[in-house]
Amino acid sequence: MVPVQWYLLLSAAMFCIGVFGVLTRRNALVILMSVELMLNAANVNLVAFSFQHGNLTGQTFALFTMALAAAEVAIGIGIVLVLYRNFEDIDVGLPTTMRW
Amino acid sequence: MVSPDWLALAPHGILGLTAMVLLLYDMIDPDSRNRLALASIATVGSLAALAASAWLLAVGVGPSESVSLFDGQLVVDGVALFFSVVFTTVAALVTVASYDYLADHSYQAEYYSLVVLATTGMVVLASANSLATAFVSLELVSLPSYALVAFLKTNRGSVEAGTKYFLIGALSSAVFVYGISLVYAVAGSLHFETLAAFFAEQGIEQAGVFGLGIVMIVGGVAFKTASVPFHFWAPEAYEGAPAPISGFLSSASKAAGFVLAFRAFNVAFSLDIAAVSGAIDWALLFQILAVVTMIVGNFAAAVQERVKRMLAYSSVGHAGYVLIGLAAITSGGAGGNSIVMGAAMMHLLVYGVMNTGAFLFVGMAEYWGVGRRFEDYNGLSKQAPMACVAMAIFMFSLAGLPPFGGFFSKYVLFLGAIQAGFWWLAAIGAVTSALSLYYYSRVVKAIWIEDPSADFRLRGRPVGLYAAVMLAGVLTVALLPAFGVGIEAAYDAASVLFA
Repeated sequence: MVPVQWYLLLSAAMFCIGVFGVLTRRNALVILMSVELMLNAANVNLVAFSFQHGNLTGQTFALFTMALAAAEVAIGIGIVLVLYRNFEDIDVGLPTTMRW
Repeated sequence: MVSPDWLALAPHGILGLTAMVLLLYDMIDPDSRNRLALASIATVGSLAALAASAWLLAVGVGPSESVSLFDGQLVVDGVALFFSVVFTTVAALVTVASYDYLADHSYQAEYYSLVVLATTGMVVLASANSLATAFVSLELVSLPSYALVAFLKTNRGSVEAGTKYFLIGALSSAVFVYGISLVYAVAGSLHFETLAAFFAEQGIEQAGVFGLGIVMIVGGVAFKTASVPFHFWAPEAYEGAPAPISGFLSSASKAAGFVLAFRAFNVAFSLDIAAVSGAIDWALLFQILAVVTMIVGNFAAAVQERVKRMLAYSSVGHAGYVLIGLAAITSGGAGGNSIVMGAAMMHLLVYGVMNTGAFLFVGMAEYWGVGRRFEDYNGLSKQAPMACVAMAIFMFSLAGLPPFGGFFSKYVLFLGAIQAGFWWLAAIGAVTSALSLYYYSRVVKAIWIEDPSADFRLRGRPVGLYAAVMLAGVLTVALLPAFGVGIEAAYDAASVLFA
């Protein structure tokens, strides 16, 4: 059996890669993918510790997370589409009609 | 007492059903332009849910008895019902106002069903008693909000606002879930009371993992409540969104974030255990957030040139005042804790009404086509005196001037903080409130004292917007005589969380 710390390390690495992607990329779709990576990092934790604790709460919650991630992408793609129609690009640095 | 138990879910059910009825209406009559029918269904649904919440409070669900449903996943108690009243009131005001604001738009049925679905999510969030239901209902609030902010899909400002709101929202919900997964890693449960029992019994062994998880959950809450450092989306989203939606998000959605924080941090991660065991002193975290949020929100609002953006930053500042309700919680001070938290809840109620009214007034100005800057509002009182009286009430009440509801809610909040020993939080709150009077009175000066810069006539009589603004004005004034009743209900409700 793989010690549970390794799962924690794996998920932390996935989460950090996701954060890095969100912070450095300008393409809205790539940012969306990075967010998915962060959500899946949480899923790795949930499933690993569900096994560790011997209850199914974590696994069930991981299913909820996946469903909500799909819903979030559905909304996100729609917003990216109207972004493209208005600005002819999906670079998130372009829309700057409002600045403080 | 209610029997059977599931009747306690009446507000949740009515709102969910209303959203379905709106979608059904759209299915039978697609692309309907019957604004009256759609707005009426949404408003009647919200008011029915408001009545159901009031009825449940009246029959004694709340302080005396809380109803626990679905194996404790949802709990209907005083806090849940108090916040249901806030959410449904704001939703009713917003749907009435949208009747005029959306006059020329397509996809009306979708708009109203999204508003009602978001309200459903808020009401469920108010009764969420586990991290799983909290996350699902938080997303039910967030996802319709993203679509609503980007609703004017040919308007660049609205699309830009929707994009920024969505990307920051998606990021912070991922952070929130990761925080939940870390808490689960330590405790092996997501249920608030089970978590509390586990920590009380075993202490917190992996304090580092647990502390990181708590910080991440605070991040998710800070996003939803538009608190510094997760406030960057707020000015953009509130300025670009349709004005009724700005009012909806800055009042109801903010309150939804706070009710989650109130319940999660006082029931599951109570300070007695979290701080004493050395894992994390989250009250200190909220003290820092409250101070920074009050200062950043109010100073940024003072330098704005556009009214809607000023209101957006002022809403960040008000999040800072409400954060005092969590920051001034002390370990073992049950009585003082429920007073300061009840005051924060009451401030959310008063703020919900007056802030929605202010945004709806801005919506009315947008409807008439007057500009967005302070100067553009010059002399509006000559054309629309009644609405301008209401706007002056909102502004003075938001600033916290004595004869209005906003004064009393800030007063009890700051007094509660002083009694808990946090005089410096109250001092910073009072100083920033004094600053806020400057930028709120700029609006009043523009509409009442300045002369109109150009000769213009306002076109159209927006009945719905007028009615909603006046109703919000009447409610803001009515909260003066009703303040005693409200604050008692809030104290009672808050004390349940510290029982």
